[in-house]
Amino acid sequence: MAALTLADVTKVFSDGSDDAVIAVDGVDMEIRDGEFLVLVGPSGCGKSTTLRMIAGLESVTQGEIRLGDRRINDVAPADRNIAMVFQSYALYPHMTVRENMSFGLEESTGMADAEVAATVEESASMMGIEELLDRKPSDLSGGQQQRVALGRAIVRDPEAFLMDEPLSNLDAKLRATMRTELQRIQEELGVTTVYVTHDQTEAMTMGDRIAVLDEGVLQQVGTPLECYHEPANRFVAGFIGEPSMNFFDVERQGTRLVADRFDYPLSEATHAALGDTTELALGIRPEDIELVGEPGDHAFETVVDVVEPMGDANACYLTFDRSGTDPETFVATVGGMQQVEAGQPAVAHLPESAIHLFDRATGEALRNRDLPDDDGVQQAVRSD
Amino acid sequence: MRNPLDRSGRRRSGEEETHPAGDRTTGWRSLLRRDSVRSAPFWLPPFLLVGLFVYGGIAWNVLLSLTDFSGLGTPDYGSLDLENYRAAFADPLQAMVNYLAGVSGWVTSGSIEPQTPSWSDLTIDPVWNSLGNTVLLMVGFSVACLALGLVLAILVDRGVRFEDTFRTIYLLPMSLSFVVTAKFWLFMYNPETGLVNLGIQALGFGPVRIVQNPELKLGAVAFALIWQFSGYAMIVYLAALRSIPTSHFEAARVDGASTVRMYWRVIVPQLRTATVSALVVITVFALKAFDFLFSMYGGYQPGPSADILATRMVREAYANQNWAYGSTIAVVLFVMALCIVAPYIYSQYQRGEL
Amino acid sequence: MSFPPATEEDRLVGPRVRKVALYIVLSGMVLFYLIPIETGLMTAITSPESYTGQTPFLPPLEPLVPGTGEFSLEAWGGALDGLSGGLVNSLVLVVPATVLSGLLGSMAAYGLTTVDWRGQVGIYVLFIAGIFIPYQAVLVPLTQFWYNVVPLRTAFVPLAELLPLVREYHWKLVALIITHTAYGLPICTLLFRAHYKKLSGEMIEAARLDGASVTTIYRRIILPLSIPMFAVVFIYQFTQIWNDLLFALTIIQFGDASVVTMDLVGIGVSQSGTNFPLRMAAALLAALPTLVVYVLFGDKFAEGVAT
Repeated sequence: MAALTLADVTKVFSDGSDDAVIAVDGVDMEIRDGEFLVLVGPSGCGKSTTLRMIAGLESVTQGEIRLGDRRINDVAPADRNIAMVFQSYALYPHMTVRENMSFGLEESTGMADAEVAATVEESASMMGIEELLDRKPSDLSGGQQQRVALGRAIVRDPEAFLMDEPLSNLDAKLRATMRTELQRIQEELGVTTVYVTHDQTEAMTMGDRIAVLDEGVLQQVGTPLECYHEPANRFVAGFIGEPSMNFFDVERQGTRLVADRFDYPLSEATHAALGDTTELALGIRPEDIELVGEPGDHAFETVVDVVEPMGDANACYLTFDRSGTDPETFVATVGGMQQVEAGQPAVAHLPESAIHLFDRATGEALRNRDLPDDDGVQQAVRSD
Repeated sequence: MRNPLDRSGRRRSGEEETHPAGDRTTGWRSLLRRDSVRSAPFWLPPFLLVGLFVYGGIAWNVLLSLTDFSGLGTPDYGSLDLENYRAAFADPLQAMVNYLAGVSGWVTSGSIEPQTPSWSDLTIDPVWNSLGNTVLLMVGFSVACLALGLVLAILVDRGVRFEDTFRTIYLLPMSLSFVVTAKFWLFMYNPETGLVNLGIQALGFGPVRIVQNPELKLGAVAFALIWQFSGYAMIVYLAALRSIPTSHFEAARVDGASTVRMYWRVIVPQLRTATVSALVVITVFALKAFDFLFSMYGGYQPGPSADILATRMVREAYANQNWAYGSTIAVVLFVMALCIVAPYIYSQYQRGEL
Repeated sequence: MSFPPATEEDRLVGPRVRKVALYIVLSGMVLFYLIPIETGLMTAITSPESYTGQTPFLPPLEPLVPGTGEFSLEAWGGALDGLSGGLVNSLVLVVPATVLSGLLGSMAAYGLTTVDWRGQVGIYVLFIAGIFIPYQAVLVPLTQFWYNVVPLRTAFVPLAELLPLVREYHWKLVALIITHTAYGLPICTLLFRAHYKKLSGEMIEAARLDGASVTTIYRRIILPLSIPMFAVVFIYQFTQIWNDLLFALTIIQFGDASVVTMDLVGIGVSQSGTNFPLRMAAALLAALPTLVVYVLFGDKFAEGVAT
């Protein structure tokens, strides 16, 4: 077991001409020993490239990757003592499950055959795939192949696990089961794990910490709740959370925020956090918008455009003006029992304690929402 | 992703960091780890073999074509000239006239002066005749082969039963040797006992000499080659037809197109890629038809009206021992093949299919 | 595909009539492709003495049907006599040449596909172009090379004395094996590369992470997964090399090392005229190995030629 450190890691893809592309740009992060870190971002953000550099499948253009105290930039993939689970599972189709799992041990260790066999059996029982050991991958279901792929990684007893969207080929139900399963195994083994996904739900539910990547640049590393409640910038705020955060372009005039359709007065404390910046984006999460009360300083008259019932909650698309053909809307989620119908007027309350303010030019978060002191959330965030 | 040029200054200044001064082995070690080097044991030996025999052979052949090498003995690489090419391509205007006259059925109006190169006491004919025959055979055979293959593929593709059996039988001649095909067709064309002649006689015409008839020779050869290779064209087209989505057939049907129009307007245009690749392969087969002619005519002498470059080359080199002149004809053949293949490979490369 | 689309014509002619016409045309083509072979076979089993050539396509049923000749396998005996040397030489030549070109082709394809590096396309183009080069373009240098440059013949003199079954003329077969291997390599590489490009890249990466070297990946992953392609390549190469005449003619030229296609050219012709039963029997005998392979593995052969 070891910590994994990335220092200013950069990857430039060039085909010899000038059209070089920076896929990963100066990523700095430390994955603690035994930690489960989720690397998340939209497709093409460089998360897979980062993972492949850690694995040794891509060379590192610049910077340093350390596993424990060892610099592994120039260490061959096989000698890094790292195991990887691939999106396609990448099982060897002509080998049985047992042979698939033994392959790595035979190739990279000097283990005796009996020891290999015993290790394979042990890992297989841990994954609950003992009865599959003599079958070929083509005879297995998607979920079973997934387990074998994990088993093949576990059997190597690596210092770190790398997982590249391992659950994305499973159906929704199985994915939920495997999420828990994966976490259980990771906890049991205590192996440092880097898990790549584009799915923010996976990121939120699985990771000890999340690293958000966009355009090759690391945006934020933090616990899921930190990233959710205290996003470092507008990108993270918009990427984490489903439905995603609403944004309004606003301009600060004195102590008020002026938007196209509303004026939003600010308290002294909030105002102070903003410094000189006047071009701002106001962000608020859908569940923080309340559809009750009378119009007021932070409550505005809107019309419900569309309602998407989800059972436990309703996603209400609100608009200030429903007359246009494609009105600009923002989302509020309200309890599933609350009756809301399209076309009805509604007062949207945007509590000041829940708003985020971002510098529109840089995207940087200037002010994040208040977190009540006695809230469990606060505890979780601060304890880290 | 972002354009690195924005930040090239930073990038350049930081490059040193990847190679710390202490790590001297990085250079050669990274060279050894390069994929080209690590995979070399696999591709290099076969490549050397191909390089030596194919490309070395071609280069040597070009060199030989510039010498005066003939008869026994060894080639003299001391004096190289283009004399063989001048002999091969002598009198192009007269050749053109004769060729056009021949094609349009006129009587040949003039004759081409045979050349007497410095290395020979005998006269050497230019390549015009065999070049013309080669082009004629190539074009006629390829077009007929493709047309028949396309028709067969469309018919077999119309959901017939025993499709596999039909396909297997149509492709069967392809598995035979040119020599065997020649034996079968020599028999088929035989004036007394051949099936073709029996058929002609059944229609009330006298027996026709086919194989030795200057007017029919080339056609007879082409026909036998079509018998052998049209199955190949069918297989290629069939694969292409299968890759066209059913929805295209259905859309045309909904639009009310007749079957013939549907194929002509909707399906056939989509077979361009298949046509090109089949055409390239089949034309090259035609260039290689030596084996067939050699066994059909029991030797190097198919006679002037069926003489193609492939037979002419082997005859000059191995029967007449005019090695250098044979090499010259080989170069002509090679250039012809190159003209067909190079654009094909280039277009494959452009489409990223290599 | 495909269901015959219902169109105007259907209403005019009727689908049933069209279906019948379709089968008639297809069966007619079957006749076209099979009749030369069928005629050859019927002629080959007719006794040469009773052969008249009036109905070569009918089986020899004399005395039941007059004029068809008498049934006899005499021609096959003659064909076997005439071709036996060639058949043995061809077999000695074809097996190693096929295996060698297949193996080397698979290696080249692996080196140029699975391991990804810049410049491989350039090398690959040179391989592919080799498929289309007319053999004539290298014949004279080949003859020079094997007869005047490489002392293969002198090397075989002591070998022939030392080892049983080895004869001096075998040097020509060895030369031909190497030549066929070199010229078969391009097509083999093409076939294997098409196969390898379809293999999962992640699987190869998984093997690298598992500690497998380039060689181990080839031996333990690629080679076992190539078995279906080896079948295709072997069948294709076997047919090509068995059927070749040109290389044999120019490298072997004459003598004890002649292969079956060379022997077949001259068989059945004599002063007294053409012995058609013998000639057809010989043609069929020479074609037998490839015909058997084709009948047994027709789909593999089709896969090979269609790629």
